Amino acid sequence: MIRGCCLKMDLSLLKVLEKERVLEVLRRDKQLRTIEEDRIRRMKHELQDLRRKDVKSLGQQYGERKCACCQRPLGKLWNSGAVCRGCSHRICSMCRVGAIDWKCEVCYAYRVVKLRSGEWFLEEKAKKFPVTTDKYETIGEELLKTYNVQSYVSVVPPTPPPHLDYQNLGRSGDLKNLKPFTTSLENLVVSFTSQMKKISTSQNDVRGHLLKVDNSQRGPYFNYSTQKSLSDTDISKSSKLFKVPSLPNLFKKSKDSDQDSSPTGTEEETSFSSEYSGGVERGSNGSISTDCGLVENITVAGELELALAYNTTTSSLDITVGTCRNLTYRDSKRRKCHPYVKLCVLPDKSVKLKTTVKRNTTDPVYNELLKYDIERHLLFGKRLQASVWHSGTLKRKAFLGDVLIPLDGLMFEDKASQSFNWYPLCLKADSPDGGAV
Amino acid sequence: MTDGDYDYLIKLLALGDSGVGKTTFLYRYTDNKFNPKFITTVGIDFREKRVAYTATNPNGTTTGKTFKVHLQLWDTAGQERFRSLTTAFFRDAMGFLLMFDLTSQQSFLNVRNWMSQLQANAYCENPDIVLVGNKADLADQREVQEKQAKELADKYGIPYFETSAATGAEVDKAVITLLDLVMKRMEQCVDKPPAEPANGNGATKLGDAQPNEKKCAC
Repeated sequence: MIRGCCLKMDLSLLKVLEKERVLEVLRRDKQLRTIEEDRIRRMKHELQDLRRKDVKSLGQQYGERKCACCQRPLGKLWNSGAVCRGCSHRICSMCRVGAIDWKCEVCYAYRVVKLRSGEWFLEEKAKKFPVTTDKYETIGEELLKTYNVQSYVSVVPPTPPPHLDYQNLGRSGDLKNLKPFTTSLENLVVSFTSQMKKISTSQNDVRGHLLKVDNSQRGPYFNYSTQKSLSDTDISKSSKLFKVPSLPNLFKKSKDSDQDSSPTGTEEETSFSSEYSGGVERGSNGSISTDCGLVENITVAGELELALAYNTTTSSLDITVGTCRNLTYRDSKRRKCHPYVKLCVLPDKSVKLKTTVKRNTTDPVYNELLKYDIERHLLFGKRLQASVWHSGTLKRKAFLGDVLIPLDGLMFEDKASQSFNWYPLCLKADSPDGGAV
Repeated sequence: MTDGDYDYLIKLLALGDSGVGKTTFLYRYTDNKFNPKFITTVGIDFREKRVAYTATNPNGTTTGKTFKVHLQLWDTAGQERFRSLTTAFFRDAMGFLLMFDLTSQQSFLNVRNWMSQLQANAYCENPDIVLVGNKADLADQREVQEKQAKELADKYGIPYFETSAATGAEVDKAVITLLDLVMKRMEQCVDKPPAEPANGNGATKLGDAQPNEKKCAC
């Protein structure tokens, strides 16, 4: 049973990494798109300028015998003008672009913009996939947006729902109560832990209930959920990214609820804040992961590089903390980040190992070897918790994210785990039962 | 790395069975390097390349105009489990490199499936596609004959290339051919709008010149 459990967790761990990989690609895509949008804006601006100079686009009257573009008088025989194929106005020879298949300057500029901006493509695409909501979006954009919505979700029902219907009825009230918490991290942690305690008592019956409902779809994750932790939510969330049968539907739904005035009753309830719509939508999609776990309210980003090895001569677990990248600022106003990494081998929390504090960086480089003295066979059932903290003034610290690595599943003989691996940082994965299997 | 100093952003996408060499093909094209290791693509990825494109007239003569084209080359996972994710990206691509492995008959047989996936998910029913048989350098392991593949490509009315990401043979040509097709398609789409019945406002009508009309506001 233990074996199976760990295998599944490794798989889900992989999925988190996969999700991160995909999101990284999508972020890169977004950069490119930003550049592209900028370029298109510039192009359209230039076109606007051209049109401003153009008489007929302003709807002004112009003489019958004058060029529609430049208003130069047209001759009767010589330079009498010709009709532009684009706009059917009489144009003098000066304002034409192209040889046989010419167009007037403005028509030509329109055509060029349409070509270069990719508008032609969007039009073609819209013929097959009619555009329903606001602007033309790429799938990547939608995915990224959906994910961002999801990661802001903070839903912690104080008491687990007796029925799944509860989600739609009770959620909005809970969220309103939680809203003031979003400002400070310390409050947040408090709210996390207090909520967690409340949940943990009654979690079992919820789980039983959920298992019944959704067994077919996400059975494996609930097997694992006996070690309910926060990162678990993340994991099942990521799996959802790949499991959703039809992506467009999901996006449409969450988009709908983004709009503040929804026609139907249930949606009205959910639409009080677009920030939370992701969670609510997920609920109505039949996903229960938001119900029994916590979903973050602060964004945790970045990755941590670790290498693990068991040293038989010193009988210790050797953890090399490499580097972190893309950490978030907890102190967003002053944008300070002095990160350090703390290691614990759960469930024992008395022994803590810490790296040095690196100042003013979100990509700290440690390369520090930390030794955790433990007999090898005792590693069984233990989990390594590596958390990243910001060391603030007056010994205040702020949580930047952590990772949980099951130690009994690790192959220490395996070279792959001994070399550095990147782990995406998650929300506090500090579960009450501490990974006892 | 990128700036907005280009004339066109063209999005192409490579698809095909797992292991046919989509990633290595694109790597060869963008970086002119070869990586023999098999690293499976997680979901999606893309590479970029800036190329100079010289427009040609229908009769084949160059117009002398050269454009800077920024290529965004989407790489998709061939693995089945990513299918719903990858096919969702089909609709945002303007042209497709449908790839199979010349040393794998199965990957060739699956070309039909990929074609129907494209028809269902691409931006239009008949998008621009180039059929690419990769790993042409592995002549002794070849399972798909050129004639076979050529026939299939002809049936679909698409160009066919036998490439090798290892040697780089025909890689550029396949991409450039696709780019050319997309550029031609683009001109067609813009220049023949009256063909669409859905759009009622015929731009050719005399005296019909509203400034806010999409076609032309002259």
